[in-house]
Amino acid sequence: METDVLIIGGGPAGLAAAIETATRGLDVTIVDESSSLGGQLCQQTQLIRPLPSVYQPMRGFELAKVLTEQINDFTVGTLLNHRVIGLYADGSVGLSDEEKVFPVKAKKIVVATGAAEQAVAFPKWTLPGIITIGAAQTLVNRDFVMPGKEAVIVGSSDFALDVASQLLEVGVEVKGIVEKNPAAAAREKEKTDALIGRGIPFYFNSFIKEARGNGQVEEIDIEVNGEILTVSADVVCIDGGRSPILDSFYQLGCSFGYQKELGGWIPQYNRQFKTDRENVFLAGNAAGISQQGALLLTGMIAGISICEDLQTIRSGEAEEIRDALWEELKLSEYKDVWEGRTKHIEKFSSPVLKDQFIS
Amino acid sequence: MDKTTIICRCEEISYEEVEEVIEHGGRTFDDVKRLTRCGMGPCQAKICTGLVANIIHEHTALPLSEIPLQRMRMPLSPIKLEILATNSTAFSAVKSVLDEVEIEDGKVR
Ligand SMILES: Cc1cc2nc3c(=O)[nH]c(=O)nc-3n(C[C@H](O)[C@H](O)[C@H](O)COP(=O)(O)OP(=O)(O)OC[C@H]3O[C@@H](n4cnc5c(N)ncnc54)[C@H](O)[C@@H]3O)c2cc1C
Ligand code: FES
Repeated sequence: METDVLIIGGGPAGLAAAIETATRGLDVTIVDESSSLGGQLCQQTQLIRPLPSVYQPMRGFELAKVLTEQINDFTVGTLLNHRVIGLYADGSVGLSDEEKVFPVKAKKIVVATGAAEQAVAFPKWTLPGIITIGAAQTLVNRDFVMPGKEAVIVGSSDFALDVASQLLEVGVEVKGIVEKNPAAAAREKEKTDALIGRGIPFYFNSFIKEARGNGQVEEIDIEVNGEILTVSADVVCIDGGRSPILDSFYQLGCSFGYQKELGGWIPQYNRQFKTDRENVFLAGNAAGISQQGALLLTGMIAGISICEDLQTIRSGEAEEIRDALWEELKLSEYKDVWEGRTKHIEKFSSPVLKDQFIS
Repeated sequence: MDKTTIICRCEEISYEEVEEVIEHGGRTFDDVKRLTRCGMGPCQAKICTGLVANIIHEHTALPLSEIPLQRMRMPLSPIKLEILATNSTAFSAVKSVLDEVEIEDGKVR
């Protein structure tokens, strides 16, 4: 199979890159291992803001629909239920649908594989009922399944607190929010206040000492300021943060650098959202963890840069659009994330890890 | 942390086993993997990578930026060999585990 642009990952970032490239006449193919487009947006019911100026604020799953509709008007091939499993020596990407493996040869590749949730380990954390915060969100919002009756949440990021509210809305009792630091991690203070207002206890300077249960979690011990508090719970939702999914970059031979503010190890890239591999671009959380509005902008920038390389847009015009998108990006992400990104781009030509395959 | 805590859930590797590798001089995820099978389960290290990096960090005071990524081999997720062998003639050139196998006329030599 051949295509101008192969986009790995059909989440918001991949879709944004698809819109920019397909509307400028390129032949685009999106591959995604899940059965629908939209990535992690599909289970997000909270209102998303800010979004790039071309979009009104809306809920995550609505945004997934709006983005998908925009590519429907163009010839964009979608290979759902297909995974990227590796790379051929001639640069073709190897895909599998669990029945066969086949190569796709693309002039340009955008890796928009998103982020994976990180685990937090404690004794018996592998008991059934102990799940990630994202899994709880998926069960409630996408699958309409109650994950349990009594929940404890470990971690207090904006994401964890959004899910805590969503659990309350469907009638799950939230028994407490356990945070190892002395204050909530959420940047939007209203979220913490709203939960405190509803009588949800926050345990600061605390961590899970142990989980117990017969065949499934039944109770947990929380260590709060040196004392043990036992709480009954049939679901424990862990928010260990998110980190970029890098395996496709690794296969493609990209170099990496470390940027704490962007989620740890990330591929090297420049202002065009181009990696140090000719023809490999990137977007979204795979390029550093940020907010949804910012993720869309990164996809748009990658898309514009590809159009420039493939000459479906004049260089001067591309530069102008890119500058404007960068301006908007600066306004759409948290200051520390933005500074991390700027630092990362400055260090483009001095990667920490390179030529991984040879080593 | 309690020594019996599972770190790699796929391969059931405990905190203690990871610690032992570090005591023997292990400083990377791949060191831990080679000595314990940590990271070699169905999830292909997607769950345990960060946990192991944190343990190395805590024990050695190496910054996380000096604990390299693990080698991410093809296939990126488990796949039946039979499926991997479709179009296998093209595979003589794939950077993969199959590199270690020589293929002639679509068959393993
Ligand atoms: C479960 C979960 C819930 C989340 N909920 C929230 C939330 O409520 N609020 C919030 O702000 N953020 C949330 N996030 C963060 C989320 O990552 C962003 O909101 C946003 O969706 C990221 O966009 P993206 O396009 O970079 O990646 P994604 O939306 O993750 O899209 C990446 C796509 O790539 C595909 N993919 C990855 N690897 C391969 C491969 N090898 N082959 C084929 N396809 C592949 C995936 O199937 C996925 O569809 C959540 C993350 C997770 C994991
Ligand atoms: S948790 Fe270690 S390989 Fe899956």
